[in-house]
Amino acid sequence: MRVLIVGYGYMGKIRHEALRKNPWVEEVKIFDPAPAASTAQARELFLPADAPIAWDRFDAAFVCTPNNVTADLVVEGLRRCGKVFCEKPPGRNWDDFSRIAEAAAALPHTTLAFGFNHRLHPSIQAAKSLIGEGGLGEILYVKGTYGKSGGRHYRQNWRNKKEIAGGGILLDQGVHMLDLFHLFLGNLRPVDAVLVDSFWNCGMEDNAFVLLRSSQGVPAFLHSSATLWKHTFRLEIGCQNGYLVASGLLSQTGSYGREQLTIGRRQFEDEALALGNPREEIIHFDRDESWEKEVNEFLSAVKEKRDPTHGTLEDARRVMEVIRDVYAMAEVPALGRDVRSA
Amino acid sequence: MRSFEMTETFALSSVKPLEELASYRKALIELTKKALAHGSQPRALSPISQRVLEPAGEVEGLPYGRCPESGSLFLTQLPKPQVWAELLTQVVQLRHSPVGFHRNLAQSRMDHVYAPKLEWMEEALRLQQIRQPRVLEVATAPSDFTQLLRESATFSQVVTEDETALAFSKDPDGRQPLEAAILLESLDHSMEPAGLAQALSQRLVPGGLLFVTCLVASGFDFHVLGLRNLYLVPPDRANCFTLKGLTQLLKRHRFELVEVSTPGVLDVEIVRSHWQKDPTLPVSSFERFILESDEEARRAFQSFLQEGHASSFARLVARRVS
Repeated sequence: MRVLIVGYGYMGKIRHEALRKNPWVEEVKIFDPAPAASTAQARELFLPADAPIAWDRFDAAFVCTPNNVTADLVVEGLRRCGKVFCEKPPGRNWDDFSRIAEAAAALPHTTLAFGFNHRLHPSIQAAKSLIGEGGLGEILYVKGTYGKSGGRHYRQNWRNKKEIAGGGILLDQGVHMLDLFHLFLGNLRPVDAVLVDSFWNCGMEDNAFVLLRSSQGVPAFLHSSATLWKHTFRLEIGCQNGYLVASGLLSQTGSYGREQLTIGRRQFEDEALALGNPREEIIHFDRDESWEKEVNEFLSAVKEKRDPTHGTLEDARRVMEVIRDVYAMAEVPALGRDVRSA
Repeated sequence: MRSFEMTETFALSSVKPLEELASYRKALIELTKKALAHGSQPRALSPISQRVLEPAGEVEGLPYGRCPESGSLFLTQLPKPQVWAELLTQVVQLRHSPVGFHRNLAQSRMDHVYAPKLEWMEEALRLQQIRQPRVLEVATAPSDFTQLLRESATFSQVVTEDETALAFSKDPDGRQPLEAAILLESLDHSMEPAGLAQALSQRLVPGGLLFVTCLVASGFDFHVLGLRNLYLVPPDRANCFTLKGLTQLLKRHRFELVEVSTPGVLDVEIVRSHWQKDPTLPVSSFERFILESDEEARRAFQSFLQEGHASSFARLVARRVS
């Protein structure tokens, strides 16, 4: 297969690495009008930046660009290549997403997938398999914290410029946690939200607290943050017969800590020495194949001319609806505690 | 690959008390020597690497050799297979006699040993999305675990086969294929562990899971106590693999590792019990520091051993590759 990567920043490089490992991929070309100096080694793979993108030369395309151009490129890719993988988030806002969705609906024989690789992390897959009958039973609640620290150049990053990114940390990282909430609970609607630009003064939320409820009435709570000075990924799932805590992420830098899943089984006083302190098992994972799995699944769908099994248009719609509604219900006050005065 | 830690703690005395081990251990040594008296054959090569075993010392006059590649320990004199199978049957009976401690601790062992093992298997099968497998329990009958397996709704069929017969079976291919197999410390006392691994590799369908528990020589209490470890006694521990040796054995018989854990909770207490029983036991100043620490520190150290694959109780899940 001949594959095109549009945008060769952090995510473009990750997708390239996964494509290198895929046996079906014969050729990878890259389009990036402003490649970073660090991409010198891959320069022979670059298409000319001053010529139109030759979408139709490729069997599949990965759009890994800043959010402000995502929708235009995905729509163009769908029309001219027909097989597009769109990095998250699916545009800056609901309007961007709607344009993508309309294009996809008008082109029924195209393949479109979105990058929600967290579903394929080993701790999440293990958690999913342990829920339900014969396991930990049905879910009672879900609570997720996902956050990063920012850094000295936080304001300079395009992700934190409203005109480019479209939204703050909720759209940037929170979108992954919302996708996981949907994976476990199905459709969700926001009940209440507090957004705040507490530290970075970027004019967008750097902390989002969102209370949600599933269509079955199961509550979920998200804290998405760009002021967690210790990088954190933590998903707590309370079930009828026990609980699961997925924490840490096998990431390139390892800054989120060792990926693990804690499994606790409900024990009342007749089953344990002390009530409320049940036996726990902690599974440690040493391999994150989520990027490879996601790329392989998309390319399989392309090859087999079928819809992708995850990262679907419907998955993207669910998270973008929640984000749209949260932004509509909550203002983003700036507290003015910015990095310069800290 | 996954590895597990456990937060549960329980006392050594609740599952295998050192103070009640002496008479059981003495009987095992006598039975083993009696079996060897019928005629023995040397085991010169490591069942893992096929390299010549290096002398490792003796346990009550019974010689052990060390695999030069993995450090695993193996009893170097073995009787004929039939005599070995009879010996293992006698040991099962002994465990439930007044000489063994197992009978008095039946409920405690069920709670702390067998029930968590069943839970582990059920969990691993769910993680691998294997539903209602036919499972082969490899043991010398009667096994304390069989009833628990049969009562579990997890398995569609439970088959129990004799471990020695299976290790020497000529035509395992011709039998019913299975989706799961269980070796609870069978590799510790099989006289032909490579044959057992090979037979299971043939019996399991591609993708089928093998559950293995073992005491491993790479664990903390074996590191400190070596052959003085009173739990190292044939035939129960005719083999004492290291974690490295165990994984090598499985990989060489077409298994890939899905989980490698050492979730043991007793290493520190085992060394402490030995040390309290024999204060002249040589221990380093660091080991002494750990043994003299308060319970919280000892528990934290045990947790470190689990996480670092350095406890002597090993638990593995291996998948039969196609």
